[in-house]
Amino acid sequence: MDLSRRRFLQAAALTAAAAGATAACGGSSGSSGSKDGKDLTLWYWGGALSDKVVAEAKTHFSGQVKLTTSSIGGDFKQKLTTTLAAGAAVPDITGIKGEDIASFLPNGSRFLDLNDLGFKKLSSQYLDWKTKLAQTTDGKQIGFPIDIGPTALYYRADLFDKAGLPSDPAKVAAETKTWDDYYALGAELKKALPGTYLINNLGSVFNIAVGQGTKRFIDENNHFIGDQDHIRAAWDLSIRPYRLGLDGKINDNTHNAALSKGTLTTELGAAWHALDIEQAAPNTKGKWHVSPNPGGPANQGGSYLALPKQCRNPEEAFKIISWILNPANDARGFTDAAIFPACPAAYAMPAMTGPDAFFGGQKIIEIFGPAAEAIPASYEAPADAAVMAPYLTELTNIEAKGKKPDDAWKDAVSQAKQIGQRQGVS
Amino acid sequence: MLSHWRQYLAISPFYLVFLAFSFFPVLYSLYLAFQRWDGIGTMHFVGLQEFRFLWKDPVFWLSIRNTLVIWVLSTVPTLAGALVLATLLHSVRRFKGFYRIALYVPNVTSIVAVAIFFGAVFSNNFGLVNAILDTVGISPVPWLSDPWLIKLVIALLMTWMWTGYNMIIYLAGLQTIPKEIYEAAKLDGAGPVRTFLQITMPIMRPIILFTVIISTINGLQSFSEPQILFASEAANPSLGGPGQAGLTTLLYFYQSAFVNNDYGYGAAIVWAFFVLIIVLVLINWRIVQRGRKA
Repeated sequence: MDLSRRRFLQAAALTAAAAGATAACGGSSGSSGSKDGKDLTLWYWGGALSDKVVAEAKTHFSGQVKLTTSSIGGDFKQKLTTTLAAGAAVPDITGIKGEDIASFLPNGSRFLDLNDLGFKKLSSQYLDWKTKLAQTTDGKQIGFPIDIGPTALYYRADLFDKAGLPSDPAKVAAETKTWDDYYALGAELKKALPGTYLINNLGSVFNIAVGQGTKRFIDENNHFIGDQDHIRAAWDLSIRPYRLGLDGKINDNTHNAALSKGTLTTELGAAWHALDIEQAAPNTKGKWHVSPNPGGPANQGGSYLALPKQCRNPEEAFKIISWILNPANDARGFTDAAIFPACPAAYAMPAMTGPDAFFGGQKIIEIFGPAAEAIPASYEAPADAAVMAPYLTELTNIEAKGKKPDDAWKDAVSQAKQIGQRQGVS
Repeated sequence: MLSHWRQYLAISPFYLVFLAFSFFPVLYSLYLAFQRWDGIGTMHFVGLQEFRFLWKDPVFWLSIRNTLVIWVLSTVPTLAGALVLATLLHSVRRFKGFYRIALYVPNVTSIVAVAIFFGAVFSNNFGLVNAILDTVGISPVPWLSDPWLIKLVIALLMTWMWTGYNMIIYLAGLQTIPKEIYEAAKLDGAGPVRTFLQITMPIMRPIILFTVIISTINGLQSFSEPQILFASEAANPSLGGPGQAGLTTLLYFYQSAFVNNDYGYGAAIVWAFFVLIIVLVLINWRIVQRGRKA
């Protein structure tokens, strides 16, 4: 492009002026601008929504508003936080990751209450426990559930066969009802196939074991409960594979290679993890199967759409998100981007009930569907993720340095307590 | 001053940008270090509480130790290697440009790409280095899980990236030394090693001082290398690799402020760290300057 000096100076001056103007407007409470705007912006990250559905939403609503979508890369939460704090150029609709929603709840006033816009009427279509995780303590609904991450047991049916174990999903399910059964099976696998491991690392078990309970690290009264029996039980459960020699100790970026080479015989993971396995190890197509998570399902991840307070046309924005996330479109998200819908009505739709070639033609919805509805509800405090981190770190200490599990537990608890204290947890 | 307004106007953009994007944030972070703040909500003034937490935080001290070890492990080979390479390159007659570019390329390569590459090469289970060791019968080395080897790999990565940069600076310094001095030394019968130690080194002292200070500042700020080598994910928000052996102070700052939404604590970490860097730069300055007046 040819740019004369005059044009360049003009453009520069205009940009500066525009930046100043938006900053000035944004400084106010955000009520500036009309509430029936014709331009709406939507922020999400790659894989958060089906790109096809989003593209259709643009044409579907083109009569009323012009929808501009941006796929935001990098650290999404950080970009959203700074934009909200600055108050300028805030998107009208934004995605919020499942692991971040709790940390946004204390600032619920930055978002519109979706119940005011009609979510109350729709909420029964979506999983109750998922909807609740996006409610503030005073009952405001700030997030519209996109997807969830029910966990299950992924396993290499061909390796099970080789080890002389049953490989049919129903039989595997019967043999891995509890964690004890699962570890016993792991011991047999290891005996038959030396050099293979049952689990990726201890942290992955801990994550799921905590999620299987109804309490986490901080209770509703903002008290630290990470030193209590329920967490200790999850901890003990996750260090057992280490003692039994079933732990792959994979804490670097070799997870994909391990999947591809068959070093790992099983994987515990959320529904969206199916795509990770498929991309990491395309050569293992047809060899994997899915069966229920030992000891019951947990949830990992799964996101929301929210309307920041600055939204220029709340009615229309709400229409758009409830259209993008209606059962039929939600089901398409599963086909397009392996995002598992938060509305059970979608589970019966053809888009989800088909056989999956990567999993040897198994209809994996038969595992994930019931899992989704059996996930225990638990309160997730804003500081939950931060407080959980030291436990995961200490588990890697056991794996990498052979640190004594009891010492690791003590250090994890004291470190978690301190992190909580810094964030106002008593 | 007024008569030179055009000149001041011409250089003003840098200072305006500096004020808005560097100076103001620096002051603001100092203010933040005395607050508890989650990034969007209301701030609470907590006085020196964040610093008290810092004093008692074993992870903070671990991160300082990690940073210092990685810094020493990377700065010493970087500067020594750069000086040797620069001397060699200075005496080379042919393909000078080629060597210069070849040795400088690591510095302009994306740090992300380099870190991913190192991660693959040193991977515990399927890495190139362990594969080669395997062929000669050495059992695999846990490069990316042993606390010391983690630091060594990070230091190696930084050495790889910064040797060429320092070499170019040394080379520029070497080229300013008049040939006559070397000729005189030769006439007096000085060998190459003696010439290097007694002529090149003393003349290069200010340049070495410059690189030592720049390396101190850069080396202590290592962040991207461990962050990419041990990427965190939703399921595992802890950073710095197994046992946090690669958790540098800046990475800890990033984790506190941007992952845990604890901006006040993050600010306290970087301000405490700033004081440490100043102290180390002063020590370095004294060491390198020593003997100059004698």
